[in-house]
Amino acid sequence: MEAASSITPLVAALWVLNVVLDTGGQLAFKAAAGDKNAGDGLARWKHMAARPWLWLGIGSYVIEFLVWIAFLSLVPLSDGVLLGSINIVAIMVAGRFLFGEKLTRLRVAGILLVTLGVAIVGVAG
Amino acid sequence: MKRGWFYLIGFGLLMTFDTLAQVSFKYAGTHALPVTADVAWLLRVFGAPWIYGAIVGYVGAFFTWMSLLKHAPIGPAFAASHLEVVSVMLLSVWLFDEHLTLPRVLGAVAIVAGIVCLGLAESREHEPEADGDSAPA
Repeated sequence: MEAASSITPLVAALWVLNVVLDTGGQLAFKAAAGDKNAGDGLARWKHMAARPWLWLGIGSYVIEFLVWIAFLSLVPLSDGVLLGSINIVAIMVAGRFLFGEKLTRLRVAGILLVTLGVAIVGVAG
Repeated sequence: MKRGWFYLIGFGLLMTFDTLAQVSFKYAGTHALPVTADVAWLLRVFGAPWIYGAIVGYVGAFFTWMSLLKHAPIGPAFAASHLEVVSVMLLSVWLFDEHLTLPRVLGAVAIVAGIVCLGLAESREHEPEADGDSAPA
């Protein structure tokens, strides 16, 4: 009974929002931490605090936290955590396009397998 | 041998904190139903104790992850940090009366296999460490 079509439009929207916020947050932190002009120690933190990236990252994570609670309240927890695994894929793909991180064959295999698993649960849910 | 125990306890702790967070999230969300985009929903979420369990889980996982990364190879650490899907699924059977349906099991197998591949990929990339021990490939 509990497995019968729990993916409503609201659930789908929350799932997409979660992926976008998680990936966006990670990339914002990466941009903040990877700034070569930031210096060291306290100066580095001051440099980061004066720019939007760090705050964008924190803001994304705070909203994602709430989105995730709403999402999990509408689906069985098993499906929720399995569907949430897509975040791993999204971050790797985004890192590839934005920071030129390489995708080795093993990584591509991992990405495809995780995506397949999420698809199986999503279609059946 | 000592190192093996350190990893085992570290990864176990990481999974425990992650699992605690997800289970608490589920309880917090269920308690706050129905989902509405307003202050009333936020008050329902933060008015029950569950959300604080989730925060403890997150903070605990964060510090465990940071201290593990100082010593453990990144590949297994990466894999362990995502394998809570399995423990959460098993706990859901017990706590939330969910079932290990065929799609869930097949999906979990594919996802875990994928996570292991990604962990191996990380291990290979970071193989030449200063440490004398050979990294588990």
